[in-house]
Amino acid sequence: MANTFAFAESRGGALRRVAFEAVSAARALADASGGGEVHAMLAGAPGIASLAGELGKYGADMVIVVEHAGLANANVEALAATAAARIKAGGYRAAIFSASAQGRDLAPRVAAQLGVSMAADVTAFELAGDALVVKHPAYAGKVIATLKLTGSPAIVTLRPGARSAVEAAREARVESAQPTSDPGASKLVVKEMIVGGGTKLDIGDAPVIVSGGRGLKSAENFKLVEDLAAAFGNAAVGATRAVTDDGWRPHSDQIGQTGRQVSPELYVALGISGAIQHIAGMRNSRTIVAINKDKEAPIFKVADYGIVGDVIEILPVLTAAVKEARAKG
Amino acid sequence: MRTENAVFLLVLLLAAGFFSYNVQRLLSYLSIAQPDDRSGHPLVRLKNVITVAFLQKKILRDPVAGPMHALIFWGFVVLTVGTIELLLNGSFPAFSYAFLPSQLYTFYSISQDVFGALVLGAIAFAFYRRLVLHPERLEGDGLEHSDALLILGAIAGLMVTMFAVNAFGLALEPDSITRAKPLSLALSIPLRNLPTGLLTGAHAVFWWTHALLVLAFLNYLPYSKHLHIVSSIPNVYFSNSQGPGPKGVIRFLDLEAENVEQFGAADVDQMTWKDLLDGYTCTECGRCTSVCPAHLTGKVLSPRKIIIDTRRRLMEKAPLMLGDFSEVAHHALVHGEGDEGSMSATAILEHRLLDNFITEEELWQCTTCRACIQECPVGIEHLDHIVDMRRNLVLMESRFPPEVLPTFESMERNGSPWAFRPDDRAKWADGLDIPTMAELTERGESPEILFWVGCMGSFDDRSKKISVAFARILQAAGVPFAILGQEETCNGDPARRMGNEYLYQTLAKQNIETLTRYDVKTIVTFCPHCFHQIGNEYPQLGGNYEVIHHSTYIERLLEAGRVPFDTDAGKTLTMAYHDSCYLGRYNDVYDAPRETLRRALPIVTMVEPERTRDRGMCCGAGGGRMFMEETQGKRINIERAEQLLATGADTLAVACPFCMTMISDGVKAKGSDVPVLDISEVVASRLRV
Amino acid sequence: METRFKIAASGTAVDEAGLKYDMSDFDGYAVETALQLNEKQGPGETVVISLGPDVVQEQLRKALSMGADRAVQLKAERVPTDGLVIARALAAELKGGAYDLIFFGRQAVDSANATVGPMVAELLGLPCATAVSTLDIANGRGTARRDLEGAAEIVEFALPAVVTIDEGMPRARYPSLKGIMAAKKKPLEVKPAQLGEERLTLEKMELPPERAAGRIVGEGPGAVAELVRLLHTEAKVL
Repeated sequence: MANTFAFAESRGGALRRVAFEAVSAARALADASGGGEVHAMLAGAPGIASLAGELGKYGADMVIVVEHAGLANANVEALAATAAARIKAGGYRAAIFSASAQGRDLAPRVAAQLGVSMAADVTAFELAGDALVVKHPAYAGKVIATLKLTGSPAIVTLRPGARSAVEAAREARVESAQPTSDPGASKLVVKEMIVGGGTKLDIGDAPVIVSGGRGLKSAENFKLVEDLAAAFGNAAVGATRAVTDDGWRPHSDQIGQTGRQVSPELYVALGISGAIQHIAGMRNSRTIVAINKDKEAPIFKVADYGIVGDVIEILPVLTAAVKEARAKG
Repeated sequence: MRTENAVFLLVLLLAAGFFSYNVQRLLSYLSIAQPDDRSGHPLVRLKNVITVAFLQKKILRDPVAGPMHALIFWGFVVLTVGTIELLLNGSFPAFSYAFLPSQLYTFYSISQDVFGALVLGAIAFAFYRRLVLHPERLEGDGLEHSDALLILGAIAGLMVTMFAVNAFGLALEPDSITRAKPLSLALSIPLRNLPTGLLTGAHAVFWWTHALLVLAFLNYLPYSKHLHIVSSIPNVYFSNSQGPGPKGVIRFLDLEAENVEQFGAADVDQMTWKDLLDGYTCTECGRCTSVCPAHLTGKVLSPRKIIIDTRRRLMEKAPLMLGDFSEVAHHALVHGEGDEGSMSATAILEHRLLDNFITEEELWQCTTCRACIQECPVGIEHLDHIVDMRRNLVLMESRFPPEVLPTFESMERNGSPWAFRPDDRAKWADGLDIPTMAELTERGESPEILFWVGCMGSFDDRSKKISVAFARILQAAGVPFAILGQEETCNGDPARRMGNEYLYQTLAKQNIETLTRYDVKTIVTFCPHCFHQIGNEYPQLGGNYEVIHHSTYIERLLEAGRVPFDTDAGKTLTMAYHDSCYLGRYNDVYDAPRETLRRALPIVTMVEPERTRDRGMCCGAGGGRMFMEETQGKRINIERAEQLLATGADTLAVACPFCMTMISDGVKAKGSDVPVLDISEVVASRLRV
Repeated sequence: METRFKIAASGTAVDEAGLKYDMSDFDGYAVETALQLNEKQGPGETVVISLGPDVVQEQLRKALSMGADRAVQLKAERVPTDGLVIARALAAELKGGAYDLIFFGRQAVDSANATVGPMVAELLGLPCATAVSTLDIANGRGTARRDLEGAAEIVEFALPAVVTIDEGMPRARYPSLKGIMAAKKKPLEVKPAQLGEERLTLEKMELPPERAAGRIVGEGPGAVAELVRLLHTEAKVL
């Protein structure tokens, strides 16, 4: 009975949520194929071993702990070599990574070293005989491709958030291991890690964008938009051309034909009427919410949900509701 | 011939010779430029010379300076006849016009006096106007008054000396046939009692002063803006600004020509000789800048500066290109080598008009509204300079405002300036039972007209309502029409106006291929840019169609009674119509939209904004500016909205989707809720359902 | 990516009727980065390579009109689904090229896998920095910024290296007319691609479930509760 491998991503000495997603997915795969263990690899600076128990909570039977000072900042070459060696030695049926920034960097290297193909950024998978059949969003999410991956091991990166981490507690035993390649000899060196905070989330990255237009009446009222963004936690603040022209917001925040084109998960258009140039910049957002006092405003034609009303009145109420919803988790 | 005649003849020949040398020199500078065939339609061109130059049609648009200048000019023409007599007489004392029939000669004599006085009066006013009234358009662009004051002074001097010569002459010979001159005669009376010697001496002094002043003034021309008296007539003759042919047609660029390295113009030698002649002809009057919407809203663009810079650069570069280093050497001699003010020949040649004289910023601020060309009394075509330099920026250097890049890319990929799905182009027509050309062709039918919708009418929510309104009118009138639907692609106007001739020709050729395939003869459109482009500029690429703007077409339908209206008289409205530049100044369509509105709303009160018809102010969207950020000064559309709202109208009407967007935004920005309607929407609202 | 796609009759591809191919934005940044490096630190040669059917020649010509020196098409009837197959074919071509830098766009905009770049690096044994948003090259070494979720890494490496390019890098220049005309004369070599057997194959393409028509949830602040509820339960974005 072949086992399933999962790579548990950590950063700064803590496990990231995507690590649990990967382990949980491996667990589901192991169960679906009628048994076999889930082995998770956890690598980092000395002391990382203490996190092993958490991986057990999500279904890991064994945690391969690789501790080394040179792994404090993700050392992708050392990680790739180590993961590839362990995967090969362990005869795993499948190896699951997250399609996070690190995972997208790591998994292809592992696949190339092992000489096997991989499926990237999958949102669902299932076994079909010897093959793994996966679903993967293509064409900026407008088309869903179903792909078949053959060969062993089947290497997969999982889209963050596509499958929730499901608890399936096990007693995970711990096995210590050394990095296969000397982390100090890596050709790609991480000189510095800059951790978030201080820099606003960029509208190009943000999963949520709250955007303000002329309906906000003044530059000062944009504070309300910023409050909403803070309530979401993972939101960036955008603006329309009318508003950046008037100097209320910097041009770099402008979304539209002559500004940035964005496609977040959620786009909240506040006091925006929906001129052709603006819509061209945000119509690919997955979910669009619009708040505007004119019910004939063109923005309502592209919005999934709309509220007709004065955005200045509605924003504080919305911010409070979002904050509450977020806190509930 | 006496000695003094011989001397004078010598002086005359020297003066004439030096003048000819300068004229030849200035003409030679034109040889560095690119060719431009302006030989066609000589009769139309001659007609323009008569109306614009001789009848001062453009000059007279200014109610104050107009008559002032016209008087000076007509006076100059009349007095030149006298000047010729004087100069010839100075060499050949027997010569005079006395051989003419006596009544004619008397008339001629009187005319000299009368116009002399009129000119002097006009000059006095000109001094007053320039020095005391300080009109705004005579300031700015780094100009000084010294040239103008010198000219006015010289003319005044000529008038005064002329009267002096006449007065002293008549004092000496009261019975001379020139006694018909009333003013000179009057002036001569108090002089009669002076000693003959004094009179003779004074006469000679004033005669020589006058003659030398004439010759000096003549030779001052090549160094002054007064050169326009020589160059304006050829410039008006060769100008295309009043036709022949449609106005505002941009010069064709042959992109397939072998061995052509330069597209567009970065310097004077890459412009045409007509552009350079424009430079010679500019009188620095500032009429162009005073009506420029960019200038009026605080931007750096000044059409006058563009032309003056062309002249300055020409004067700098042409001599060097022709191997004449005397200016540079002279400058170095006077100011010392390496002096800050002096530039080596190499440095001058490395400079260019673009960037060193005219900045990118100025060039992109132009909306191509043609107000400058409309006002210019001497046939200057500012847009040729501007578009040629834009062509260089885009085609040679890929330099253009960054926000324009997605516009170009969209036009290339989607066939429209915005990132909309091309297959959505005909969605506005869903449920309206409008056939496409493809559908009709399949059925073996063909429509009376093709309704060209355009990108705004296809994709912009507000403009789609205009498309629907116009379609309803056509249907109510029973006109068989079709649209191209998804086979329509952007006509290319924004690309061409922004200088991207390559992209423009790609799009135009595609449309021409489609239109030809369907053997389209008549096209009606509500967008003036599509109208101008397809009707007036597509012929350059072989596309010849009859294109009618919807205002004209609807007017025809209304006149023929084909549009069924409600019987009631409609609402009482006060309406102001905003003239679209591409409909008005470009194509002289001013009345059709107004007539259409009046017929649709018989009891409407039409009010005109202060700037209206061919003086109308642009909404700010032309010349590709719809797709650019406005970064300096006041927003043009807000300025225009203010002007329209100031009429007190309760409704505004437009006949262009770009104007619709700009004026609506402007009105909203002023916090007003005055509705802005397209004329077809007004007509459609009156259809009997 | 503004197009609304339809699935072709075969069920395994999008319907290409009326669609135009274009260089992806990421590839555009990559070409631009290469051109700027050679302009600032030249002389050097910028070579553009693509793998696929003849339609890729248009994009190679576009890169040439931006200023690239020569182009190579590894000809294949269709672009393989399996990134490793593509990577092997590219590695075979790149091996002999003695390149100081090999740039890829972060990912293809259609297949969206982001696997080929790092795979090629592994096959060639070169250091690889993926998804960089800034890049400095000096004295045979490179420094780059890689954006992570809510953080960033500054990495360093020695040349030769493979770099995949992300947002933040300079936008592709608009080809000048001069460039377009010069491109017609630059060399574009066509060679057959050496393709192995694919282990990742495309079974089906389908459209995601239709987006329900939008609706006005209510008026005024009172509608907020309902909106939040819908965002949580229906849209699942909250």
